Amino acid sequence: MGMMRGDEYRDSLRRLKPEIYYLAEKIASVADHPAFMPHVNAAALTYDMARAPEFEELLTTTSHLDGKKINFFTHIHHSTHDLIRKVKALRALGQHTASCFARCVGHDAMNAIFSITYDIDQKNGTDYHPRFINLLREIQAKDLFLSGAMTDAKGDRRLSPSQQPDPDQYVHVVEKKKDGIVVRGAKTHITGAVNAHGHLVMPTTAMKEADTDFAVCFYVPVDAPGVIHVFGRQTNDDRKCSGCLIDQGNAEFGIVGGEALLVFEDVFVPWEHVFMCGEHDFAFELVERFATAHRQNYGGCKAGLSDVLIGAIYGLNETQGTAGAAHIKDKIVEMVHLAETLYCCSIACSCQGYQLPAGNFIADPLLANVTKLNVTRNVYEIARLAQDMAGGMLATLPSEADWRDSVVGKYVDKYLKTSAEVPAETRMRLLRLIEGMTCGTALVESMHGAGSPQAQKIMIMRRANLEHKKRLARNLAKIGE
Amino acid sequence: MALKYCGSCNPLINLSQIGHDLLTAIEKEDDLVFVSPESTDINTLVILCGCARACGNLIETRARAKRSIVVAGETIDMTPVAEINISGTLTEKLRKVK
Repeated sequence: MGMMRGDEYRDSLRRLKPEIYYLAEKIASVADHPAFMPHVNAAALTYDMARAPEFEELLTTTSHLDGKKINFFTHIHHSTHDLIRKVKALRALGQHTASCFARCVGHDAMNAIFSITYDIDQKNGTDYHPRFINLLREIQAKDLFLSGAMTDAKGDRRLSPSQQPDPDQYVHVVEKKKDGIVVRGAKTHITGAVNAHGHLVMPTTAMKEADTDFAVCFYVPVDAPGVIHVFGRQTNDDRKCSGCLIDQGNAEFGIVGGEALLVFEDVFVPWEHVFMCGEHDFAFELVERFATAHRQNYGGCKAGLSDVLIGAIYGLNETQGTAGAAHIKDKIVEMVHLAETLYCCSIACSCQGYQLPAGNFIADPLLANVTKLNVTRNVYEIARLAQDMAGGMLATLPSEADWRDSVVGKYVDKYLKTSAEVPAETRMRLLRLIEGMTCGTALVESMHGAGSPQAQKIMIMRRANLEHKKRLARNLAKIGE
Repeated sequence: MALKYCGSCNPLINLSQIGHDLLTAIEKEDDLVFVSPESTDINTLVILCGCARACGNLIETRARAKRSIVVAGETIDMTPVAEINISGTLTEKLRKVK
């Protein structure tokens, strides 16, 4: 079958029958519903850009399994060059969507599971790795888009998975059969879940022996019986169904990835799609490898989004005649500095990546976590500067409907105009784009996507090597000579 | 045998101590002799790297010896080894290959 085009991806979604709910409505086709189309469009661009000659070098590669040309989002990284290329691909896609295209999550899950299954097999003599290789062959051959589902509902945060009064708060095995397992539970805020072909499900935390039933990793097709998706609301999502394209800001690709509550109601998973079942001692390592791979990304895609935001705010200031003001230039430079700092972080953790026993490469975990922690700060500062320069109109702009209205439209148009040569519509479009990128769900995604700041701090502390730093200080202070 | 360091920019393990302990242990071995890593007659090259990045593990470096052993942070040839056991494990490996 080979690499798909965007329209083939949309058709492939139409052939699936996933159980998806949004605003208490069961969705017939995500590819054709206005609430989901921006997310489908963003993911479709990962297919179309891979086929464009100017992006081919970033978004396609050669499969290490069969030597065939594949979409980069189905690739297992085999060098630091691959890791760097991923960051650059994400920046390019960020520049062309100004949104989340969701496909990196499953890609990172593939790379984490590829390595951890090898390690489990080496220790325990299991056959998880060849099982995963078989699935990987299918993913590459069919150019599948998978979600990566990690975060459990977690219930009472003071309690471990096995201590929860309701065990379903963590996805777990409820029955082992001759031909597979039955799982129950839920994963929360899963990006791309509704417009993926399937889900790679992983444990969310370190596990102990008592948590054996919760140490489970598997693949399910999006429309497997018992898999239920409840799509999340986003800031101003009513505008997607209002017919007002300008008010959406970025009608084609939306403001951020579409997330869903992903419920497993006694879902059967055949053994061939089970990649961890009870190996609690490998749960944390899987979490850390996935988290490292995903946190590596954020200085790529967010730099791409920031490129668009910087362009929007600079363009807005040009329309208003303020682009030449010294304080505007200074703030634009500050935005560029912050965005490129994020990019530096992602490139750096990729350059410092290394090979795992399975043969694939992972970014430097310490630097990847530093990257993501910076994203939780820099993106907010970038947004704050954009809002500062946009002016209060960012929050008070009349609607597209009023601008088009036969009675008040002429007033809206007249009083939104700045210089004579710039239409009011231009200002409206730029303001709405900036609003979508800085005033709501997109910002929260920068804070909590790929894990909340505290999760990064825990990993930074684990990797900080404070004893080495103490030793350096003691040597120079001539202590204990 | 010879010993080659990665460069020690930000090591997660005490490379100097490990190198020192290894040299001390090898001096007691009758059939093992340390030579310069620039030598053209190296049987086994131990590449000591401070972290998993393993910057010293280069093809051209490995090509200087018949075989090489790579320490990368708390691993030896990708197998986890606690820092305190690295020089001892290296000594054992060298005894086996001499």
